[in-house]
Amino acid sequence: MARREIEDLECDQPFALAAARVIEVRAEELFEQSPGVLDLDRIERVHDMRVAVRRLQAAIEVFRECLPRKRRRAALKQLRALADALGERRDPDVSIEALEGLAAEIGRSEDRSIAALVERFQEEKEAANERLARVVSEVRLQRLRGDLGELAGAAREFGAGGRRHS
Amino acid sequence: MKAVKVKGLDPATSLRANATRIVQTRLEEMLSFAAAASAPGAGAAQHDMRIAAKRLRYLLEITEDCFGPEARRARRAARELQSVLGDIHDCDVMAPLVAEQISNHAGEDAGTGLELVAAHIEGRRARLFVQFRELWQEQGAARVWAELRRVLRA
Repeated sequence: MARREIEDLECDQPFALAAARVIEVRAEELFEQSPGVLDLDRIERVHDMRVAVRRLQAAIEVFRECLPRKRRRAALKQLRALADALGERRDPDVSIEALEGLAAEIGRSEDRSIAALVERFQEEKEAANERLARVVSEVRLQRLRGDLGELAGAAREFGAGGRRHS
Repeated sequence: MKAVKVKGLDPATSLRANATRIVQTRLEEMLSFAAAASAPGAGAAQHDMRIAAKRLRYLLEITEDCFGPEARRARRAARELQSVLGDIHDCDVMAPLVAEQISNHAGEDAGTGLELVAAHIEGRRARLFVQFRELWQEQGAARVWAELRRVLRA
């Protein structure tokens, strides 16, 4: 997934103001990837959303000193749940792709034992998609969006000379 | 793998000042895994190094403009490491799943294809490890990490 350049980021600006800007941009990247993430045929969408979550988690860790602890932890908890659900949904895709590729390479695309393993991964993928559906529900994504907005807002306030809220 | 805590950060000072400390910590963290990861079967150390390379890469994506071309080059190098170590990790995840399926088909002719797959995964992992070691040596010879260290100290 191509990352977005973060405009208005100055190396000499206060760390907390940079935190606000980076979290806003990385959060936008994440929510851009959510439409279609439950489509079982669009395997790259799951991968892209997972990468976007990882980038956002990394940004929150980088700027942790600028962020109110309770809000930071609450946001990270939601992101961890999202990352786990996306990972469980992504892993069978990787396995199926690898296995089918290997089977073709060794000229065993019709092998029954390989097909049985691919089928097992397909079943895992469908079950993981159901779990992912609960994590990426409209309500939960809206809550996450709100919490991330507040996190960025708190960093901005802190960078502008306010106090850091707990 | 839990990240090493970065000391001495100050939200009131600049992005550059804080980023310097964080990049230094994440760089040394990644380098600390290199010796152990350079043994062929060291899956755990290779996995840790991949996570550390990923942390460094995502950090540099945010902060590289504060450090110039050496940081951009380091970010690309971290991505290359992450990629090859990720492929090794995929083999390490897949191998036991295939082995389990083979044991489920023990005594059946139907397991032959999976036995070939298992051998193929083993061979692929060995080739990827050679790629990783060559990449690491190339990056060392090109002074990618030494140059990043130098600009961080400047």
